[in-house]
Amino acid sequence: MRVFLEIALRSFRRQMTYRAAALAGLATNFFFGLLRAAVLVALYGEHSEVAGISLQSAVTFTGLSQAAIAPLSMFHWYDVMRSVYSGEVASDLLKPMSYFRFWLVQDFGRAAASFIWRSLTIMAGYAVMFDLTYPHNIEQWAVLGLAMLLSWLVSFSWRFLINLAAFWTPNAIGLNRLFFILSWFLSGFLMPLRYFPDWFVRLCYLTPFPHMVNSLVEIYLGVLTGHEVFQTLLLQAVWAVCLTLCSQLVLRLGVRRLVILGG
Amino acid sequence: MSPIIKVNNLSKHFKVYRYHRGAWGALRNLFSPQYQLIRAVDGISFEVHPGELVGYLGPNGAGKSTTIKMLAGLLVPTAGELIVNNRVPWKERKAHVARIGAVFGQRTTLWWDLPVIESLELLQYIYAIPPKRFQQNMATFRDLLELDSFLHTPVRSLSLGQRMRADMVAALLHDPVLLFLDEPTIGLDVVSKERIRKFIQHINREQGTTIILTTHDLSDVEKLCERVLIIDHGKLLYDGSLNTLKERFGGERELCVEYAEDYLSIEVEGATVSEHNGQRVTYKFEREKITASELISRISLRYRIRDLEVREPDIETTVRRIYEEQLLEK
Amino acid sequence: MSSTLDIYRRLLLLQFRSQMQYRMSFLFYILNTALITTFEFGSLVLVMQRFENIGGWRLGEVAFLYSIVKAVFSLMDMIFSGFDPPYFGRNVRLGTFDQLLLRPVNITVQVLGSRFELHRLGNIILGLVIFVFAMQLTDIQWTWIKLLYLPLVFLGQICFFGGLFILGSTITFWTVDSIETVNIFTYGGSEMIAYPMHIYHQWMRLFFTFIVPAIFLNYYPALYILDKPDLFNMPPFVFFLAPIVGFISLTAASAFWRFGIKHYQSTGT
Repeated sequence: MRVFLEIALRSFRRQMTYRAAALAGLATNFFFGLLRAAVLVALYGEHSEVAGISLQSAVTFTGLSQAAIAPLSMFHWYDVMRSVYSGEVASDLLKPMSYFRFWLVQDFGRAAASFIWRSLTIMAGYAVMFDLTYPHNIEQWAVLGLAMLLSWLVSFSWRFLINLAAFWTPNAIGLNRLFFILSWFLSGFLMPLRYFPDWFVRLCYLTPFPHMVNSLVEIYLGVLTGHEVFQTLLLQAVWAVCLTLCSQLVLRLGVRRLVILGG
Repeated sequence: MSPIIKVNNLSKHFKVYRYHRGAWGALRNLFSPQYQLIRAVDGISFEVHPGELVGYLGPNGAGKSTTIKMLAGLLVPTAGELIVNNRVPWKERKAHVARIGAVFGQRTTLWWDLPVIESLELLQYIYAIPPKRFQQNMATFRDLLELDSFLHTPVRSLSLGQRMRADMVAALLHDPVLLFLDEPTIGLDVVSKERIRKFIQHINREQGTTIILTTHDLSDVEKLCERVLIIDHGKLLYDGSLNTLKERFGGERELCVEYAEDYLSIEVEGATVSEHNGQRVTYKFEREKITASELISRISLRYRIRDLEVREPDIETTVRRIYEEQLLEK
Repeated sequence: MSSTLDIYRRLLLLQFRSQMQYRMSFLFYILNTALITTFEFGSLVLVMQRFENIGGWRLGEVAFLYSIVKAVFSLMDMIFSGFDPPYFGRNVRLGTFDQLLLRPVNITVQVLGSRFELHRLGNIILGLVIFVFAMQLTDIQWTWIKLLYLPLVFLGQICFFGGLFILGSTITFWTVDSIETVNIFTYGGSEMIAYPMHIYHQWMRLFFTFIVPAIFLNYYPALYILDKPDLFNMPPFVFFLAPIVGFISLTAASAFWRFGIKHYQSTGT
């Protein structure tokens, strides 16, 4: 247990050293966030509410989606793939701890650091510039906290799973990038899914992606009834569990393949 | 014959700005930038005549690569005169560069993903080599360097030795009058090293190509160069024949012997014992006083030897010696 | 001169052949970039079923703006791949740029010939497809002037962003760290001009009118071609500024580039 804490802390601290990159990233976040906000305001036009989302909430959304990028590594995450291709995975697998848990804990450290240094900074900046929507009461904040955790878990187990493609093909990076692209559009990252036609939303929910961003956003903005909140959290948890189990299964298959083929 | 390289009081100074850390530091950087003046090359002068094969030696950071960059036209000098092949290199870049060649041991000049032959064919157009001359050179090099086995292999798949040979060809295809070799044998096995060395000699002798060889490998220098230039801390410490260098500054050599038995007393005339570890003994001896073979004879007359090794002082030690003793060769 | 162009052609051929070596990767690249554009525009179409317009501009008109930027920026990205600032910066740091100085060929041509992202072709084609789609949805009154001006608009955008690329790359001669922030100006800038610019805050619009005149690259030409009124009452000649803005940007950037090379040769970085 102590080991995992150490790993998480190390990963957390490492994020702090990427200062220049973080600043550049923040600048990018603000630019695109503001751009999207302007587009949304223009879309709203005379309306004060569309699909149950107020204009203020829509603007808040643009900040939230930018804040979600760093902790959920939404644009790229190839760490496991790289270690498989470089052969490092062999020595990692020899370590006396679960390979999956090792990466899980590392990613948690990284995500926590990103959340504090990037996400909170972005939301703070937004709060200065705009009137934002906030969760109403303690319960909502608590539920939000749970949703964030589940969001990260779904995101991590998914990223881990698709990285495992490296065990089977040298072209895993192209495949992974394909999935990342899908995640941008199906997760409600670009626009809240509520704006889209029902058939499209239903399609999105066949994938784990909405549970990375959209569920989180809807809980934050309070557009769900108590019953729906419970449903959403449940679905998130189900996806998280399924993806985790799937990852571990596929990992085992991948390692067996590695061992048989001799790396 | 006029020299192909004429360097007179050449200097290259760099301003390295000191970066202050933190927020106040950033402000200080802006208003009163503090810098350190690094004299990478500090008033050196020498001449190289056509057809010479010169070794350019010195410890890391001595100013070697800075000098070469200036000679190649990549870097503009801070002060002094520099004429290569009747041109000021950095002023007439394209004309200058069309007549020189360069091989870097550390990285390739070829295009990574394509077969060697395609890189070479592209170079034909880049250097405007007449087709007949291209064919002739290709034939010569294919023969001398045994290129056929990998001519159609992509550069990324080549072994180090093959890549080095390919880079050599790339550098000589356009019949340069001056060739810069930077660590051309680094990382190669003994056989490959020998092959490259023979090739360098051939080019120098048959084509009359002037060659400047920068290397840490002393055996490269021993086998190829008659003349060496030694640079340290930006200053030219020595410019003369290799033999003279060895005789005057070679200094102490070491003979490491592994005896067949544990001898109590392993003293020998003409050398001093610097280490004695059971059956392993290290002797130090002066080149001027006794040759290695003489010493070995003396030892073998008295003791039974299992194995031995002669160690030369490395160039760093020699250079340091020269520098410490403040000796400049005219 | 002809030999320089010839060498450029050969360098491009080399790039092409290199990329064909990695066929699977190349196909994935094309697929992925096409997917991004398809989803991006698809999302716009789907979302606009619920909203009527963006700042008063209907789907077809926004598609007009979007498709031009998409196709033209991708074309620029393809041609100026060698000047992509992060890529160029890496070359300078690794010392590969020195290689170019050692060859008796124009440096700019060598940089342009050092990289050519063919897979951008996917976006160029998609952009053209969306443009045709936009034509169906809008009711443009074409005149000869408009038809002749359109390619000049394309050229203006290519030159402007190409100049931005060159500027970003030249800066890497001085910086030690990576130059990722430049992406805000290039990719961010292109995304910004893909929408009707009157939807942005006043200070942002003024900035992009008088300081970095990006508003004349796409928005004003679109106003002219779509026969839409100028909400800011600028003098009528501004509709035709696109190629001029592009030309100035490229010229200024090229001058800075030449200065940058000279500086690099003095200090060696």
